[in-house]
Order: sequence, then C-alpha cells, then structure tokens
Amino acid sequence: MIENNFLVKMVGINKRYGIVEALKDVDFNVKRQEVVGLVGDNGAGKSTLIKILTGVCPPDSGEIYFEGKKETIDSPKKARDMGIETVYQNLALIDLLSISRNFFLGREPTKKFAGFCNFLDKKKIDEISERALKDVGVKVRDVDEEVSILSGGERQAVSIGRAIYFGAKLLVLDEPTAALSIKESHKVLDYVADARERGLSVIFITHNIYHVYSVADRFAILEHGEKLGDFNKDEVSAEDIIEIVRTGKMPPRS
Amino acid sequence: MKNNKSSFGSVVALQFRRHPEFGALAGLIIVFIVFSFTATRFLTIESLGGILAVASELGIVATGITFLMITGEFDLSVGSTFGLSAMILALAANAGIPLFIGLLLAISAAFFIGLVNGIITVKFNIPSFIATLGALMFWRGMLLAVTGGFAVRYWGSSSFLYALNGQFYGGFRTSALWFFIIIFSLNLILIKTPYGNATYATGGNKEAARVLGVLVNRVKITNFIISAMLAGLAGCIQFARFYSVDPLRGTGMELEAIAAVVVGGTLMSGGYGNLIGTLFGVLLMGMVRSGLIMSGAPAYWYQAFIGIILISAAIINTKLKRWSIK
Repeated sequence: MIENNFLVKMVGINKRYGIVEALKDVDFNVKRQEVVGLVGDNGAGKSTLIKILTGVCPPDSGEIYFEGKKETIDSPKKARDMGIETVYQNLALIDLLSISRNFFLGREPTKKFAGFCNFLDKKKIDEISERALKDVGVKVRDVDEEVSILSGGERQAVSIGRAIYFGAKLLVLDEPTAALSIKESHKVLDYVADARERGLSVIFITHNIYHVYSVADRFAILEHGEKLGDFNKDEVSAEDIIEIVRTGKMPPRS
Repeated sequence: MKNNKSSFGSVVALQFRRHPEFGALAGLIIVFIVFSFTATRFLTIESLGGILAVASELGIVATGITFLMITGEFDLSVGSTFGLSAMILALAANAGIPLFIGLLLAISAAFFIGLVNGIITVKFNIPSFIATLGALMFWRGMLLAVTGGFAVRYWGSSSFLYALNGQFYGGFRTSALWFFIIIFSLNLILIKTPYGNATYATGGNKEAARVLGVLVNRVKITNFIISAMLAGLAGCIQFARFYSVDPLRGTGMELEAIAAVVVGGTLMSGGYGNLIGTLFGVLLMGMVRSGLIMSGAPAYWYQAFIGIILISAAIINTKLKRWSIK
C-alpha cells in the first residue's frame, strides 16, 4: 500500500546503457510539499533517474507511482500532463522565442478566426504570462521580447513561474543555480522556497551542496548508480553530505 | 535587466529583432531607386509584371524553404522536385489525363519526395543537407533517365493552365496571385498559430522544444513535405507559363531560393525569420535580374551580382541581430 503523503514513489528502478549500469535497483520518493536535494558526483545517475521520471527515457525495470497510482511515463508530454514540470539546465527556454511564447509553448491558448483554424490568442498569452511572472516576483520589461535578453536567473524564474502557473505538483530543477551569480542564485533559492509554500514538491539536483542545503528538507545521495541513502536535514550537516559524496561512504557515527 | 541601452536604442533594437525583413526591404528600395535611373524601361507595367512573374515562381519555392529553414533544416532537392512535378504534369497532359488530375499527381509526387526527405533526415539522424543533396541527385537522375533527356511540350490549350499562370494585364500573370495567397497564408500560420510556434521552437532549440512537449520530428517531417509540395506546385506553375518542360528544369533553383530566404533575414541555423523577408528577398532578386539586363549589362552579371548581395545581406543581418540582442 502506498501511503498517501507520497507524491512520487519510484521503486526498484534499473537502467543500463550498454555495459554501463546507470541505475541499480534505486528507490526514490518525494513527499507532498517537500524539497528533496538529489545529490551525487558526476555519473552517479542523477540525470538518468530524472530522465526516467520525466518521460525522456524509459527504465529497464521498476515501478513509478504518482499520487498513489501506478503510472507509465512514456513521454515528456505525459509527465507534463500529470503535473511534473522539469526545468533543465540549458533546455528550459528557447532563446529566439519571445518570453510569452516560451511561457505557453506546447499549450497555447487559441481562438477561432472566421470559424476555422486555431489562431494564437496573443492578447491572452501576453497578459497571462506577464501576470504569472509578476506573481512569482519577476518583472520583465516586455513579455514580447526574446528570452535571449534575460539573465540566467531571470530565465530560471520564467521557467519556475511557468511551472507554477500550469499547476505543477512536482517541480524538477536540474542544476538551477549553475552559472548564476551569488545574488541570482539566492533569488532562485527563494523561488524554490516559494514554490513549496504554494504546495508544490521540488526535486533539486545540484553539485552545490550549500545551495541545496539551505532549502532542502531531505537529501537523497546517489553514487555509481546506487542510492547511498536518504538523510533528513536534521540528521546531517552540509559538510557531512559533501563528505559522503566525496568518499562514497556513509560517515562514521559520531 | 542587463540591458544598458537607452530606452530609445532598446526600442529600435526590439523593432529590428521583431522584423528580420528590414534589411531586405532596405535593399529592395535601394535597388529599385538605382534601376529606376539606370534602366530606361524599368518603371513600366510590363517590366514590373515580368519581374513579378519570375519572382512568383521562385517565391513559391522560397516560401517552403523558409518554413524548413526556420525549423533548422535544409532542402536542396527543391530544384529536382520542381522539374519532376512539371514533367509529371506535362506527361499527364499529353496522355490526355485531365490537367487538374495531372496537377494532383504532380503534387502527390512532391509530397512523397518531401516525406522521404523528412523521414530519412529524422529517423537516421543525418544532416538534411546530405539527405536532400542525395535526393537532388537521385530525382534529377531519374528524371533524365526516364525521359531520355528530351523536353516535353504540350500543344493543347487549357483554361486550367491559364488559371495557373496566364497573363491577365500587361506583364502580370496569375502566378503572382497564387504566390501572394500562399506566402501570406503561410506567414499567418507561421506567426499566428501554435504550429508556427512549434516550428520556431523546433528550429530554435530542438531538445528544449522536445522536453516541453513539442513533437519535433513530426514538425520537421511536415515542413519537409510543405517545402517539397510548394516546389512541385511552382514547377507546375512554370509549366503553365511555357507549356513545355525539359528534364533539367529547376536546376540550381534550390540555391537561388536559399539565397532569397537568407537575404530576407531568416537564420540558416533556424528559429528566426519570416516570410515577409522572403517576399522582399525574391522581389529583390527578380528586380536585379531584370534591372541588370535592362541597364544593358550582359545576363552573366546577374549571378555575380546576386553573389555580392547574398554575402552583404548575410553580414548586415548578422550584425543587426548581434547589435539588437546586446
């Protein structure tokens, strides 16, 4: 029986690329309104686990439960329809497209013109995206401008604002603070805390333990495709986590 | 906001970004003014109609190329598709098949070529430059082999062909109407519909579009088909002008069409551009062709001149883009 307070439960996930075992029998859960830091060194299997959860690639074996129901997530669209929104490090937005078009990409509101063909409802697209971004605390000069003029932090904000607006239940952030200035990183961390306040669960993937430590409730640590363990924030310090990731071993009990 | 331009500068920059066709329009105006002085009969109805007749056929091909280039792909096989479709219509006409059916057959063949181009590019993940270069050679070779290299002429007369490309006023032809209908309705699709949005997104960043739920492969294949079908239609329209077609018809057209699209401000790397730019691009090229001849320059100069225009346009468009994003 799946307890109801779990939003996501991944059980016994295996994934193999040729001879490389990317994931070995990994269990991974996220509770409702919980921020989970998914940490581990390069090649630990963080990205693979997330790709499986978000429908980018299928697992070889294992089960995924979402809101207590067993699901087969076979496409990014399916994941999105279920309420899983992913903000990829470099794949969150399309540079040459305007902010508002990015905001609604893949689910544009339309209106019929002369009874045929669905045209974009440009007014609605601009108004809603502007309001939704203001709502998460992002002010842009003009939502009709291309994303390429935004800073890294603003881009993350647009992606997160979009996810919140579209009623995401789970927000997956892949290295959201990489390549950001200190000020902007902290802003993004604020957005994460804000998303939790609004009732979302968040998976936060990062190398920067200090960043994730400030907002996460729990940490799942991966190493060579296996899960070393789950740690509540009150059980470990940031330094402990770094030590575990560095050595690949559990810390000696003190 | 890391934008440090004055508000006036940034407004101008925004307008440049939104209007990739600006450079082509400026070029068009300059060329128009210059030829109005140097070429004595340039500013006559007949001359402008002639320019439009040539530009329309090229323009229908370039319209498809624009769609595909915004998707981030190329189609080098449009010249061969152009010739093949025209040949199918000619052979069907001579075989006594109703011309409307002949046109449907010709366009269906083009549809098939586009579908194959798209599937090969997407499924085998090879550059469309290569896939369609192969298609260019294959279909041209087939066309030459099947016809034995002989031209085909249609001796009948037909109101259907008149509707496709008949002369109706001065040098003006109905092909111009078809061209304008096609380019404006496709521009509407590109700018105003979710499909257009998906096209820009696919060309702008394929992987990002994919994770955001855009069916990028379907968009690409569809746009390969659009490109091929428009090339086929343009071939049929040109056949309706000459009532004849030879197996080398449309050779080199792909490069001319790509040049017009690039002059029109569409990025070769995808994700940016529009069809208004392409309209200005083909008009510019048509004007240069006629204007040079009317100014008394030998026809060979056309290619050399277009080469210079193409490179200058690419440099100016790149500079404008870079400046406006800063």
